[in-house]
Amino acid sequence: MEQIKRFVKKFRFISYRVAFLYMVIVIFMMLQIGYQFHLLVQGLAPLWPLITMTLATVLFLLYVFGRIAAPYQRSEKFVRRFLDGYVMTDFKEYQLPLLTPNTEMQLEKMEQIFHSPKVFDLNKRQAQYLALQNQINPHFLYNTLESIRSEALIAGLDSVADMTEALATFFRYTISKVENLVSVEEELENCKTYFRIQQYRFGSRLQMHIDYREEEWEEIIHCRIPKLTLQPILENSIIHGTELKIGTGNLRIQFERTERRLIIRISDDGIGMDENTLLELNKKLRKDSSAVSYQQSETKGGIALANVNNRIHLIFGEEYGMHVYSIEGEGTDVEIVLPAIMSDREIKNRGIFQ
Amino acid sequence: MRKEIFRMERVSYQENGIMMLEDFNLNVMEGEIMGFLPVNSYGMSAFLRLLKTNLSLEDGHIYYHEELINSWKESRRNNNRITVIQNRSCLVEGMTVADNIFVLRQGFKKNLIQPAVLRKQLEPFLQDIGVNISADAYVEKLSAFERILVELLKGIVAGHRLIVLCETSTLISGDELRKLHHIMHHYAGQGYAFLYIGSHYEDILQICDRAVLMSNGRIEKVLQPREMFAENLLCAQEYDKMVRGYLNDKRNNVKLGKQACAFYGEIPLMKDPLRFQVLQGECIAIQCLNNRIYHDMCQILLEEEQAFHWHLSMEDRGEKIQGNRKAAVIQEQCTHTMLFPELNYMDNLCFNLDKRMKNVWLTGNIRKSIRQEYGKILGEDVFATPIDELHERQKYQLVYSRILLQKPKVVFCIQPFKGADMQHRMLIWELLEQFLERGIAVVILAVNLADTLSLADRLICLDKGKAQKEYSREDFASIPVLAPWLYLYREEKREKE
Repeated sequence: MEQIKRFVKKFRFISYRVAFLYMVIVIFMMLQIGYQFHLLVQGLAPLWPLITMTLATVLFLLYVFGRIAAPYQRSEKFVRRFLDGYVMTDFKEYQLPLLTPNTEMQLEKMEQIFHSPKVFDLNKRQAQYLALQNQINPHFLYNTLESIRSEALIAGLDSVADMTEALATFFRYTISKVENLVSVEEELENCKTYFRIQQYRFGSRLQMHIDYREEEWEEIIHCRIPKLTLQPILENSIIHGTELKIGTGNLRIQFERTERRLIIRISDDGIGMDENTLLELNKKLRKDSSAVSYQQSETKGGIALANVNNRIHLIFGEEYGMHVYSIEGEGTDVEIVLPAIMSDREIKNRGIFQ
Repeated sequence: MRKEIFRMERVSYQENGIMMLEDFNLNVMEGEIMGFLPVNSYGMSAFLRLLKTNLSLEDGHIYYHEELINSWKESRRNNNRITVIQNRSCLVEGMTVADNIFVLRQGFKKNLIQPAVLRKQLEPFLQDIGVNISADAYVEKLSAFERILVELLKGIVAGHRLIVLCETSTLISGDELRKLHHIMHHYAGQGYAFLYIGSHYEDILQICDRAVLMSNGRIEKVLQPREMFAENLLCAQEYDKMVRGYLNDKRNNVKLGKQACAFYGEIPLMKDPLRFQVLQGECIAIQCLNNRIYHDMCQILLEEEQAFHWHLSMEDRGEKIQGNRKAAVIQEQCTHTMLFPELNYMDNLCFNLDKRMKNVWLTGNIRKSIRQEYGKILGEDVFATPIDELHERQKYQLVYSRILLQKPKVVFCIQPFKGADMQHRMLIWELLEQFLERGIAVVILAVNLADTLSLADRLICLDKGKAQKEYSREDFASIPVLAPWLYLYREEKREKE
């Protein structure tokens, strides 16, 4: 009884009604083949109606499978992923089968919404919020920091002056630099500044190493990456990885360049994370945690990584992004894969920010 | 700038609704030998299937030569230009080496096959790697090492830039492995990339530039060149600790009993007959440096009909191995070869008890008490589980518990660690240690030493045309091959000095 109820309930959907209709047609055709075969055996009909009927059934089945069932399954997969929260950036690329002209328009509208500058700006601002936590008037901040630095120099407190200078440089990059894509060199410089500030806190307990292949370095530093890609991850590594570790913490930023990709790996030898936390984190990175669904991610933690990853998805597409490897007690590696973009022309050619 | 040969980007793959690979990331660069260490075998076969064929993905993208070949959006189900060399040969039997390499190649269009031309074409490839294999030899006649090389050459000739070697170290001897490593480095220098899959991290650390650690269908860690040390592998540390503890105990309190058995056998390829005695609680490793000798030894242990003379004596009486309950044989890949799916768990467990407890099949009380005793160790639920549905770990436990119940004087194990992942290697090691603790002598027959040195008290090496060579535990440090666990003995020697 329960099964019948469930079956009837499914009939609310047109897809089930269409599938049922096809089933009825196929059964009817099979019966026809059987009937024709019976007539042939009895010697009451020639061979050609049986051949025609069989051919028609095979062609019908092939058509239904190739042109309706398979595209429908693809479309279902797309919708399921969308509902699961995966990032969908380029709707046209998926070549979805469309039900009506209105469905096409509906998809175009969705694409416009997801590609709107507002969504991207919202994500970018989140990154700034994460860095600053509060909106502060930048000029007031720089002037104040400059005053502190002068006072410190007069008082002979060189370390305070240096720290203040680093802080001002860091804020200037974070708040005032307006470009969305910056060079690896600039981003790395910001990381070094941030690390300088942190070293005043941790001293020799914290070490940073930068690894690269000498022959690739010239090209790597000119690659363009989204602003504030590295520093939030470095910050995460310090706060959640090495800070809680007993003894010296080592941070490592490794760059690798292939023909089409730039691979950046930020590693720490801190406390790592357990399997479930890692699974959750990677799941979040795989799926959409954009500003549109921000509320959800905020409650579950890992905002900085999700934010950086989301900006990468929005700018370059879902093929690129971030993945975290970690073993509890051993450390964590964050691997970022980006397209190797060297010039503004390439940005234009790829249609980024258009 | 290096080229990326292969990349799997956040791949999730399901089979029958079960997630086999999740968030799987892997990249192999040009000229790189990438190690692949599965901590457990979950998802391993699915991964190999995905390497060979572009199957439908749940999520993620796969690139070959930086070109997209498979993604969750579209899977063409075509084969990839990747060579996967496994335990089982993929060469066509009944055809020659040259035919397999050239004629079965994709794009071979000649209608008339000229063996002389093929022979000539193959020659530079063989010269290049310094190997002598007859182009006209039938592939079924090749040794395991030659078969691996032919498959490798087949991939190279076909222009496959990624070659996957899966558990090859368990198939070939130490010398052959060294040659294979040399050949791999040679081709890596020419830009070919290798994915070297093996459960023995010692192997991987020796040859690979980088390595990944896979567990439960996910990549847990990527070891960078600077991290290629056993200390960076948590699972390796655990195993290392276990073995060190055992060796320290053994050093401090050696308790070997009286003689368990003596063996004498005329092995055709050897100069002198093989002769050894094994004591109760002693472990002997027999390494066959030649595949024919290995097959002859397997024949002695497994087959009734013998082509040559051998003799096993226990308590001064001549004994047979087959059907003898005082001797047991654990076959290669025992979870596949020694379990009977049509029987239930209890029947599988008590299978060898007929001589020790004559009424085992008549009275339920014996089986009940066995169940009570072993239920605590094996878990109560396994008794109700069909054999096919047992986990690999439970299968190993079943096979070894059966032998423990049988209580033989000597156990012959044929390559016990073959095909086992890291976690299962540790389990097998523990189970073998249990045999030794109970005074059962263990004779391990192996092509590759694998983990045997960690347990062995003596090592006997057998080679073609030579007399047997014997090393005692004190001499292990001076064994001239690179084998897992040797470092423990070398450390010990250094400490003594």
